[in-house]
Amino acid sequence: MKKDFWSESNVVVLGGGSFGTVLASLAARNAGSVTMYMRNEEQARAINSTRTNPNYSKDVVLSEKIRAITTFEKVFELKPKLVIFALPSTATRDVAKTIARHFKGDEIVLHATKGIEEHSLKRISMVLAEELPVVRIGAISGPNLAGELARNEPAATVVASPFDDVIHAGEKVLTTDRFRVYTAHDLVGVEWGGTLKNIFAIASGILESSGFGWNTRSLLLSRGLAEMVRFGLAMGAQSETFLGLSGMGDLIATCSSNQSRNYRVGFQLAKGMPLDVILSSLGQVAEGVRTTRIVYEFAQERGVEMPITETVYRILKGEWSVEQGVRHLMTRPQVQDDWA
Amino acid sequence: MFSWLLNAASVKRILPWGMSESLQTRLRVVGHVDQLQNLSKKGTILLVPTHLSNIDSLLIGYVIHTMMLPPFAYGAGLNLFTNPILSYCMSRLGAYTVDRQKNSPLYKTALKNYSTTMLKHGIHSIFFPAGGRVRSGAIESHLKLGLLGTALEAQLERLQEGHPNPNIYVVPMVMNYHFVFEASSLIEDYLAASGKHRYMPADQAEDLFLANMIKFFWKLFSTHSELWVRVGQPMDVFGNFVDEEGRSLGPNGSTIDPKSWLTSNGELKAVPQRDREYTKMLGEKISQRYHAENVVLSSHLVAFSFFQALRRQYPTLDLFRFLRLSHSQRVVQNDCFYAEAERCFEVIKKAADQGKIHLSETLRCGDVKIWVEDGVRQLGLFHDAKVVKFSDGVITTEDMNLLYYYRNRLTGYGFGKLGESSQKHNFFGETDEKGFLV
Repeated sequence: MKKDFWSESNVVVLGGGSFGTVLASLAARNAGSVTMYMRNEEQARAINSTRTNPNYSKDVVLSEKIRAITTFEKVFELKPKLVIFALPSTATRDVAKTIARHFKGDEIVLHATKGIEEHSLKRISMVLAEELPVVRIGAISGPNLAGELARNEPAATVVASPFDDVIHAGEKVLTTDRFRVYTAHDLVGVEWGGTLKNIFAIASGILESSGFGWNTRSLLLSRGLAEMVRFGLAMGAQSETFLGLSGMGDLIATCSSNQSRNYRVGFQLAKGMPLDVILSSLGQVAEGVRTTRIVYEFAQERGVEMPITETVYRILKGEWSVEQGVRHLMTRPQVQDDWA
Repeated sequence: MFSWLLNAASVKRILPWGMSESLQTRLRVVGHVDQLQNLSKKGTILLVPTHLSNIDSLLIGYVIHTMMLPPFAYGAGLNLFTNPILSYCMSRLGAYTVDRQKNSPLYKTALKNYSTTMLKHGIHSIFFPAGGRVRSGAIESHLKLGLLGTALEAQLERLQEGHPNPNIYVVPMVMNYHFVFEASSLIEDYLAASGKHRYMPADQAEDLFLANMIKFFWKLFSTHSELWVRVGQPMDVFGNFVDEEGRSLGPNGSTIDPKSWLTSNGELKAVPQRDREYTKMLGEKISQRYHAENVVLSSHLVAFSFFQALRRQYPTLDLFRFLRLSHSQRVVQNDCFYAEAERCFEVIKKAADQGKIHLSETLRCGDVKIWVEDGVRQLGLFHDAKVVKFSDGVITTEDMNLLYYYRNRLTGYGFGKLGESSQKHNFFGETDEKGFLV
């Protein structure tokens, strides 16, 4: 391996959201250059001229190595060796389809989307593999609240892929002295961990809003984790993965922080705001709302026991009040405190 | 060094007079034959057939010949070389011995190196990626990746040497027979292995290979039985389909340069971990293609329908209790059987319309009376025990194990579920909660 391969390579980040901006910033420390793709021309112009992303993390000064663009044709101009998808799960397939023909085949692809494709229930890495002429694909997932990363607080993430090539690329490009990269081969577990925790973030917001304390929150986290493992195993993941950063780590961060969008959805829901009003006032994507429905329906079909998910699903749908949900969960038959 | 392989005699010379002509009429070679012929001139072919019977090794030589391809090098089990006549034939067919009893790493490495070297020198090769014959009768779902990985290794070396035709093309091939002479002992093996203490295998004499083989061909020629060989869509060493020109096809109209997939950190080189993952992908793809290229024969569908109808009468029994049903219990009324046969046909026809499986000519006619009659006759040709038998308005079997064996050819698709099944991605090698392959 050439010693300075990544320091001479171009990295593409697709998506100008808060996490996309953070990833571009991290990559700019290690890569030769970074190209950020976003739809909004004004935003791109602002990044290129003022070195800040006006929509998110305004206080972060972006490296000179970052260039923002708005057309797909220009994405591949510098022959990128790493392409990072930081898009909502609903947009990933279409974008991948559009840019597929530009890929050479030796690119590494990572994605930072914590969600799944509706209907098909496919993980994002599967969607990408179906649409792109590359297979060295992986995911970035972990307790990575964009605001804290933007302030350069110490944090870590997991880069997962069956391919060591992908893991090494993630390590080389994203590691800084304030940001650690852990690795995993269990891509299935890492992707589902990042997806499932959003359900419990909504539940956590609901509990906080109802004024419950730490006992209740810990109960939610522990039994939520059990649901995550149970579902993950049914999808072919390994249970240990859920104990790591991308499982429990991300669950704790998302369920404890009011920065999390899904948490805010739950919080306002319990205050009596209708779901559509909350979602339109959020201005960002809350993957958890869709995830809850998709996972609930699938768990029903497969016979995977997920009582908390069911409760969140019914509260989101307006079928149950918070009090009804709590009563449902607290009066279930006694079970052992494990994952079985 | 390889001249003896390349000079291997044409099969015609070793078959008795007249046999080759009649074999041609019994043998249906379908699928991507033209593409295989074209690609054999553009690169090196690695043919990976399914493996049901020891007959396969003999037939493959003949199939290659009828497709007007040069002889292929291939590994065949040691038992085919113990008889001097067969041994002579096998060597002429380009076969070399593989002793699966030997487990030493040295032997395995030598075999792998042999395969890599041949592919690297552009010698078309064949091996059975599942290792031995499939015991259950189903389509193979677990492939041996060690030998399979030699394709990628050879491709990489050819690329590194700047060879003008560097590509190795992997071509799956599915072979189907109405009867398999080793069926009894194979399914015994399968049940003994999967049932552990629950299954006591009957004492069986070793297969009398030569005698059985003669019986097999005698039955094949003297009756109107047929062999189906379906050549699958050619792929590259990663499992991507290739076009007529041999270019690897990616999604959304893209083409893939195999060189780019073998480049890591800017260098074209071997990366063992990466290459193992690629080979795993190839293995999964081959198994997927085996299922899709499988040709349903009337005999399979008769065995499958009867088995299904019988199971509906005993839904609570698990596999091992079910297989021990007494003769008087193994009876299905004709009208029940025909209703089940029509139901199974509809399900399988739908799958065939979606490209998940293929139907033989007899089945494509769709007349239940015709294909059931044909299937019952075909199943009755070889074995002494009747696999299915009509008498006095009922259908019955004399051998539950054989019935299970032939029925299993249609498993791996979820057809074998008793209830309605949801559309899961695949059921390769899966069993239901009662232990039946689905």
